[in-house]
Amino acid sequence: MSDHPRSLPILKPEKPEGNVPESQQVLGLEYEVPVLTTRLEESIGFFEKNLSGALGWARKNSIFQYPFVTACCGMEYMSAMSARYDIARFGAEFPRFTPRQADLLMIVGTINVKQSPVLKRVYDQMTEPKWVMAFGVCASSGGFYDNYATVQGADRVIPVDVYVPGCPPRPEQVLDGLKILQDKIQTQLHHAATIERALDMELETKKRSFLGKLLGK
Amino acid sequence: MSQALVELVREKFPEAVTSWHSHRGDEVITVRRENLVEVIRFLRNDPQTDMKLLRQIAGVDLLTFKSEMTGGGALASIEVPEYDLRKKPHVEPRYYVAYNLYSLTKHHALRVRVDLRSDDVKLPSITSLYRTADWWERYVYDMFGFEFTGHPNLTRLLMYPEFQGHPLRKDYPVRKRQPLVPELDFPDLIRGPGPGPGGAGVPMSQTHVGRHNVDPDAYD
Repeated sequence: MSDHPRSLPILKPEKPEGNVPESQQVLGLEYEVPVLTTRLEESIGFFEKNLSGALGWARKNSIFQYPFVTACCGMEYMSAMSARYDIARFGAEFPRFTPRQADLLMIVGTINVKQSPVLKRVYDQMTEPKWVMAFGVCASSGGFYDNYATVQGADRVIPVDVYVPGCPPRPEQVLDGLKILQDKIQTQLHHAATIERALDMELETKKRSFLGKLLGK
Repeated sequence: MSQALVELVREKFPEAVTSWHSHRGDEVITVRRENLVEVIRFLRNDPQTDMKLLRQIAGVDLLTFKSEMTGGGALASIEVPEYDLRKKPHVEPRYYVAYNLYSLTKHHALRVRVDLRSDDVKLPSITSLYRTADWWERYVYDMFGFEFTGHPNLTRLLMYPEFQGHPLRKDYPVRKRQPLVPELDFPDLIRGPGPGPGGAGVPMSQTHVGRHNVDPDAYD
């Protein structure tokens, strides 16, 4: 296979002699998979990228949030929701009061140790894709509740995407955090699970048939 | 008005009341632990006192109070993580419990104090007199670890069962953090008992929180 005219050289680490660290190993040339397959992967990658962008655009503009309100930050959440600041302008229109219908978990307020299993359960009940916003310093880092009862940041329990500081944060800060989260959603890779799996299967069969033809099997 | 109240209790129980004073208009009496229940029963049932409302039960730790070596608030600093009782002096009796009583008909209040030595933190429960004493005593037990003998269900009220120690004691380290805990089992009232130990479906104790991904030592 290495002397095939349409194959690309790729770099592979040479087999080291003795106990050489991986960072000091020398790269050597080796010939691998034919070019045609690489173009197919490129085209599928292009399609996937565009699809991901479209999905990201759709998802970032229709964030259904679940407000997990535990403390005084809830007042600022209400302010951000209501007409003066109107978080609905950014597509975060409907607060869903069940985590099963929500995309964004807003942790609004202090999380104490006794409450952390509840937060974990709420997060587990949300369907993918899901994001988490820590609303206020208490949810971000424990705030000034540096004591025996308070979890020092909700990220000790569940992963957090965006942290909004403030005690409580101004509604403008919340909107800013939402914009940052929207940028994150737009730029991250969205897997359309079924389409991707179908493409993978198709790719595998094509690879096999190409290789079969080329190698005469 | 309240002065007469103190006189009344002293006349009725000359042996039980060990000291009394007035703190910013609030009358305070200190009673012996053995006579606590009968004094409070008298205050509740006597028509002259008629104190039907138990406003609060509070625990107090005097570990750093009036102590020359530490002074109040020294333990709040990060540099003193633990208070070594063997090396540093502290006052005895170290604790007291305060019962704040009020009369809704006579409009007078009285605070009843019971001193507790640090080696013997037991005192009688007054749940037979006041229903509200149930949760107040659980609260004081949770925060200070005082044992109220005769309480029907002396468990933690605010903290979770896995919590170690009593956080409002002054020798509880300020910066001490304890690991996160799994969700509690609770019975499913709608679907009834199921295959799991805690109720229907998957037992809640299997949903561990944080045990895998949170290092408890990372707090300090």
